[in-house]
Amino acid sequence: MTDVSSVVADPAADPAADRSADSLAEAPIVGVVGCGVTGSRVVTHLVAAGFRVAVFDVLRSVAVAAARPARAVVVDRVDELIQCSVVALCQPAPHAELATTFLREGTSVVSLSDDLDDTREMLDLEDLTHRRAAALVVGAGMAPGLSGLLARYLASQLDVLDELHVAIHGTAGPACARQHHDALGQTAVGWHDGEWIERPSGSGRDLVWFPEPVEANDCYRAALSDPLLLHRSFPTASRISARVSATRRDRLTARLPMLTPPHATGDLGAVRVEARGAVASGERLTVIAGVAARTADVAAAVCATAAAQVARIGLPAGVHALGDDTIDALDLLHHTTSLGVKVQEFTGLGRATSW
Amino acid sequence: MKMLRRALVAMGLAGTIAGILRVKGKGGVPPQEGGWREVSVPPK
Repeated sequence: MTDVSSVVADPAADPAADRSADSLAEAPIVGVVGCGVTGSRVVTHLVAAGFRVAVFDVLRSVAVAAARPARAVVVDRVDELIQCSVVALCQPAPHAELATTFLREGTSVVSLSDDLDDTREMLDLEDLTHRRAAALVVGAGMAPGLSGLLARYLASQLDVLDELHVAIHGTAGPACARQHHDALGQTAVGWHDGEWIERPSGSGRDLVWFPEPVEANDCYRAALSDPLLLHRSFPTASRISARVSATRRDRLTARLPMLTPPHATGDLGAVRVEARGAVASGERLTVIAGVAARTADVAAAVCATAAAQVARIGLPAGVHALGDDTIDALDLLHHTTSLGVKVQEFTGLGRATSW
Repeated sequence: MKMLRRALVAMGLAGTIAGILRVKGKGGVPPQEGGWREVSVPPK
């Protein structure tokens, strides 16, 4: 069994590491499960932030490739990460079972999962988190994740929040692309005038303008977990929806296996959040914010920031989404931007869509 | 023959109506102003 507490920089490999070795030895240990396109970036961010990092991947060579340049340690079994202050789950969904394993041992968890059923299962772990005095952060990626942070940022500009509408474009690694493909073949959920509605994925087309360089894309309903988490965070909002960009081929083949292999390194992505409500004077206002960048970069920045927050400051025991008021979302958003994520705001006149 | 004539009349009518709608119809105007600008999120 690997002793993850031995994760320190190797001074022989890098003289600069020598001066920080003492402080590093005192740093919290963060575990990362899954070292794919997004997970490897999470490792890099966490090491750069001064954490000791231990990684696990079912493919040891992948874990070694992610750990070596970042001077993280590779563990042979995933349960060895129980010793960590917090574990970031970056492997393909489902995460609920592994999250339960860590939470039972009192280890806090940050999950990147955007699978709807997986998210539902993790939300049901509330009792366990309280019993074991641990925190579980669900949906700490681009969407859900950054979408929740942007929603909180926009909600702070309104006195009354009525509606939240999220649109996403792009995928991170191959597992994310498969999840995106599957989501278009399942049933979409939305919060509409005080009740959950279910609609077929691929319906409800809307042309959405994302920040440059992504710009206009047709977006459709899909089995996304954003409405579920945003409703937790903003229970007074009467309408919450989420859409994902898709081509005709995506929609046509959504219920079939993927016909073409996904991008090995992911592609350019974007998230756009529209909040509608009113200001103190009663005037109706629509505010829109978004981000466009490589999907894996955005998801990794959000996940690393959330894991760092749990490791350094801690969170109350319980299940948290990034838009929740138990989390200082604006501070988290600030730290996410310091990792290169550029938040943009739409400055034109927000016009009502058909949503 | 009668069937073909009916089909041609129907296609001609559809084309005429589509042409009128295209010339006289109001297609709406896309947004002419506004855009995205980067914002800085202040630290806590």
